[in-house]
Amino acid sequence: MNSSYVNKWLLVSGLIVGVLALLVFGAVRIATQPSQLIGAETTIIPAESRVEGFARADEPWPWDFPRDHGPHPAFQTEWWYFTGNLTTADGRRFGYQFTIFRRALTPEQRDSQSEWYTNQIYLAHFTVSDIAGETFYQEERFSRGAVDLAGAEVSPRFRVWIDDWAVFATDEAVSQMFIRAQAAGFAIDLTLTPVKGPAFHGENGLSKKGPEPGNASYYYSLSRLETTGTVEIGNKQFDVSGLSWMDREFGTSALSAGAVGWDWFGIHLDDGRDIMVGQIRQQDGSLEPLFGGLLVLPDGTTRYLTAEEFTITPLGSWQSERSGATYPAGWEIELALGDSSLRLELEPLLADQEVLANVIYWEGAVRVGGDVQGYGYAELTGYAQPLRGLI
Amino acid sequence: MTGAVVSRLAYRALQRRVLQSVLFVISILAGVALVVGVDVAAESARRAFSLSLASLQGNATHEIVGGPSGVPSSLYRSLRADLGIRTAAPVIQGIVRAGADEIALTLLGIDPFAEAHVRQYLAGASAANAPGVEGQALLRLMADPNTVLVAQSVAARLGLTPGDTLTLSTARGSRNVTLVGIIHPANELSAQALASLIVTDISTAQEIVGSPGVLTRIDLVLTDAQVLSAIQASLPPGVVVRPVESNKNNLEQLSDSFTLNLQALSLLALVVGVFLVYNIMSFSVVQRRRQIGMLRAIGATRRQIFGGILLEAVVLGVVGTLLGLAVGYVLGGFLVGAVTRTISDLYYRVEVQALTLSSFTVAKGAITGLGASLGAALIPALNATRITPASALRSADAEQASRSRADVAAVAGIIVLAAGLALTQFQAQSLLLGLGALFLVLMGSVLITPLALLCAMHVVQPLLGRVVGTLGRIAPRSISRSLSRTGVAVAALALSVSVIVGVSVMIASFRGTVTTWLDGALTADVFISAPASGLLETVNLDPTLGEQLQDLPGVARVLTARDVPVLAPDYPSLPPVNLVAVSEDLAERSRRYLWLAVPEEDVWDAMQDGAIIVTESFAYRRGVSPETNTLSLLTDSGPRSFLIVGVYYHYGTDQGIVLMADSVYREHYSDPWVSSFALFLTPEAQSGSVAESVRGLIAAQGLNVQSTGELRTQVFAIFDRAFNITAALRSLAAVVAFIGVLSALMALQLDQKRTLGTMRALGLTGGQLWRLTLLETGLMGLAAGLFALPIGLLLAKMLIDVINVRAFGWTFAFLVPPGSLLQAVLIALTAALLAGAYPAWRAARLAPAEAIRNE
Repeated sequence: MNSSYVNKWLLVSGLIVGVLALLVFGAVRIATQPSQLIGAETTIIPAESRVEGFARADEPWPWDFPRDHGPHPAFQTEWWYFTGNLTTADGRRFGYQFTIFRRALTPEQRDSQSEWYTNQIYLAHFTVSDIAGETFYQEERFSRGAVDLAGAEVSPRFRVWIDDWAVFATDEAVSQMFIRAQAAGFAIDLTLTPVKGPAFHGENGLSKKGPEPGNASYYYSLSRLETTGTVEIGNKQFDVSGLSWMDREFGTSALSAGAVGWDWFGIHLDDGRDIMVGQIRQQDGSLEPLFGGLLVLPDGTTRYLTAEEFTITPLGSWQSERSGATYPAGWEIELALGDSSLRLELEPLLADQEVLANVIYWEGAVRVGGDVQGYGYAELTGYAQPLRGLI
Repeated sequence: MTGAVVSRLAYRALQRRVLQSVLFVISILAGVALVVGVDVAAESARRAFSLSLASLQGNATHEIVGGPSGVPSSLYRSLRADLGIRTAAPVIQGIVRAGADEIALTLLGIDPFAEAHVRQYLAGASAANAPGVEGQALLRLMADPNTVLVAQSVAARLGLTPGDTLTLSTARGSRNVTLVGIIHPANELSAQALASLIVTDISTAQEIVGSPGVLTRIDLVLTDAQVLSAIQASLPPGVVVRPVESNKNNLEQLSDSFTLNLQALSLLALVVGVFLVYNIMSFSVVQRRRQIGMLRAIGATRRQIFGGILLEAVVLGVVGTLLGLAVGYVLGGFLVGAVTRTISDLYYRVEVQALTLSSFTVAKGAITGLGASLGAALIPALNATRITPASALRSADAEQASRSRADVAAVAGIIVLAAGLALTQFQAQSLLLGLGALFLVLMGSVLITPLALLCAMHVVQPLLGRVVGTLGRIAPRSISRSLSRTGVAVAALALSVSVIVGVSVMIASFRGTVTTWLDGALTADVFISAPASGLLETVNLDPTLGEQLQDLPGVARVLTARDVPVLAPDYPSLPPVNLVAVSEDLAERSRRYLWLAVPEEDVWDAMQDGAIIVTESFAYRRGVSPETNTLSLLTDSGPRSFLIVGVYYHYGTDQGIVLMADSVYREHYSDPWVSSFALFLTPEAQSGSVAESVRGLIAAQGLNVQSTGELRTQVFAIFDRAFNITAALRSLAAVVAFIGVLSALMALQLDQKRTLGTMRALGLTGGQLWRLTLLETGLMGLAAGLFALPIGLLLAKMLIDVINVRAFGWTFAFLVPPGSLLQAVLIALTAALLAGAYPAWRAARLAPAEAIRNE
């Protein structure tokens, strides 16, 4: 049960290393226009992993908020991962993803006379899905965590940023979070108010990745954040409201051989329940049996979902003209929740929500039907390139 | 039909006159080789510099730069976050000396994340622990302290493989860094561009060569004018954004005057070559008078005769030019070392990895070579067309014409000379016009030479007759009689010797002036500076070192100087201004001024109140005068106007210097560093022992500690190196002339065979003929040597007063070393006598009957 998120953690943390290696290597190919990235032929390269000396997730974490919304620089990897479904008063829908990753290059920040020195680097992915406009907007950024270019802090106020992209709070208690990001041709300015408290994964947030001590991460979610604000497409501004999901994870992970990719779903049901389910696809075509899910009830209490308790069945597929990858599109998810069961049908709001960053994946807004209505986000990795190489 | 005959005869002429053909080819070859050689050397240096600039700035179109205070680091963030500019890259850059050999390299500190649009070659770096695995190395730059990347060529030079440690030293100390990867340039060109670069993370660069809070610059790739104006509007006052290209051009032009002078000198060699060719062709036509006359008699047209002669010149010219191009390229390889050394000493550090043979150089060499061949053959060819079957039989005819033409030439020469001198008064700033004037003056002088020779022979004839007897009368008369041949030979010899005289006098004058200046300028006892080369290298020394120096026994006073490039907004097309800020006036009493707006004893007070003084070169280049006496400099608080209260003589750099009081400088710039120290010792202190204790104090920093004498020696070493190439070219020009004239005179004498045979038949002994021949050539050599003196001195005067002023903004005294004048005459005489030796030997052995029959 504790291993439910094992492999996703491994994959994501491996992905960050890979992306970092890639983006510095692939300096040439990094461009603000997504279309420019497509022609790049990239060999994903194994990244060196140096975990010695970093803090490890080897015992229960003394959670303390708002402190833990802030960075944990002693750990190698950390992220602030926001996704959400938004709609205007007249029903025009948007999806968004706003993620900032932090990576420590070395365990210790050494003394330096240079303000440019840092052992912390940041990267961010920002996408907006304009459903009615049938357009997927995206941009990737990365920066060193020095000279105020990028960083994460909780004092005096919570703030995580790269350049002018930021998620921040205006009060000490972080009663609300604000996301502001302006990219080429699209922008968001959102206010996020948590409806439920932090939902902890694993053993009170200690999410073990393997039998070895320390091979684990600390992981919590704010699964339901009421969101209001504006989405800007071109010169047009839309007042929107909706729900967001925040995933927070930090830790130091030893890299291990793994899977081909994963499918992940975060779902807001209209009845107030939030569900996260996922599956890891193995090299041999099987699914990682330990991967599971989390059910967050309207009152904020949580229930783990083991792999046996749900099934995910693809209903269709979509091929990207740009990467050539074929992704599943549309799913039937069946959950066996003790006595009751829940059947959900997920349908992408937009076929093309493919992120063409240095790592190519599909992350997009989905409509949920079936037993209960709702909206959610799906994340599909390892279809364009085998992610195995990353870890 | 006759056309074919003319061509065949031209070909035969070539065949038969092997010596002349060889001479023709050599003359063109030498001229073209020098032109090409100098061009190759200069072009290679310029290209290497251009490439190294390009490698430093990659694709950047603009750059944000500040003065000595640099660009605040926070500006980079505001560009990205506030203006949303993603195509910007911060840079901290400086010179380091690497390894035991202290090879000077540029340390380029970059933010790997910002390089996507700017320096794409960095993407090809492979990591130390995983060769071929790219990207890792750049990540390690950030992650690990003191890690660097170099290109393979640099690694090889330093004897390093990835993983090895390397010591980098700067004026502030030394530091060990680890080579974590190799940059694999995509092509040969990039390889050359990377040949003197060490790439490191910006934080490492800041620790080694930077200052806290400050960037060297921000490189930008901009395509949108609106973005540019947005940047302009957002910049703090002491910082500007400017096109990279204009800066590159400004920097490249630093050495333009120097290379242009070299090129002019190489052209001079070609001019000598033209004269030799003219000489050879005239001679060849004279020799073939009978043959040409006969050709005319059998129906050859003038046009065919003309064409035949020109064809001959073209064939020889092509051979000479082709050989000249090849030899020039090789010569360029020899010259490039000296040229780059001097450019590095005086202007910017540059290393040439590969010779550049541009198509422009090839075209220039080919056009000058062929043009010279044709141009020089034109008049002889025209002369040939005037030969009629009848006139061909009368030889005196030609000489009569030649003598009368000497008058015409002299008149033309005076006109050309006057035109050249007049040209110096016109467009007083143009170096090219100045060089044009110089050539006109030389041409004019040369045109006067035949008449001068005629007059001279007329004068010496009776004198020589009294001293040597009959032979003494025959020799001058013989020279006058064959003026069509002797006139040109003497002019060519005089021309080349005058170049030797002119350049020697110019160098001696300059050296003498510098000596006087340096003796006045070096008033302190011990100087401490960093080994730096070129104008573009800023040295940062810790000012607290001054306090430590002050505490040393024997040190009376410590002076500091800060030497930095500063932008002068009013002169965007000129390189940055060299600003020198001094804590005290080192040379207050001994400085010589071109003009002063305040009494000499008040200069330092005025400077402490904010006024500046500038050097003569600076004033010349920017039109500073007592009326135009302000200079706007970009300070931390924006452009500030400074009053210029004086212009002084200074020969340290032709780019000029702005001298400011240190207190004023520090008011305007937040710059913590100093560039050098000068120590005044107490009267009883030994400069040697103080220098020793200074060396002990700064042992780790690799600074130069020099006594006045040592510094003086160093300055002269640089000076001599700068003129090495000039001197070498002068010698080469001399050698070319020497060989050419030697051969021309030799041919002239060999052609005298018939005359000599007749004389022999008339009863002259072998010994007398031997003496006669030597006497003739000796007379011609002496005449050439003597004519060369006034021409050479005029040349020197123009080099000093016109060319050097226009090229470098320097004026200096006209100092004539008598030795070099004597030397010039001796060179001419020796060349002539040597040229006469073989014909004389032949003449002495001449059997009269055979000589006459042969005709």
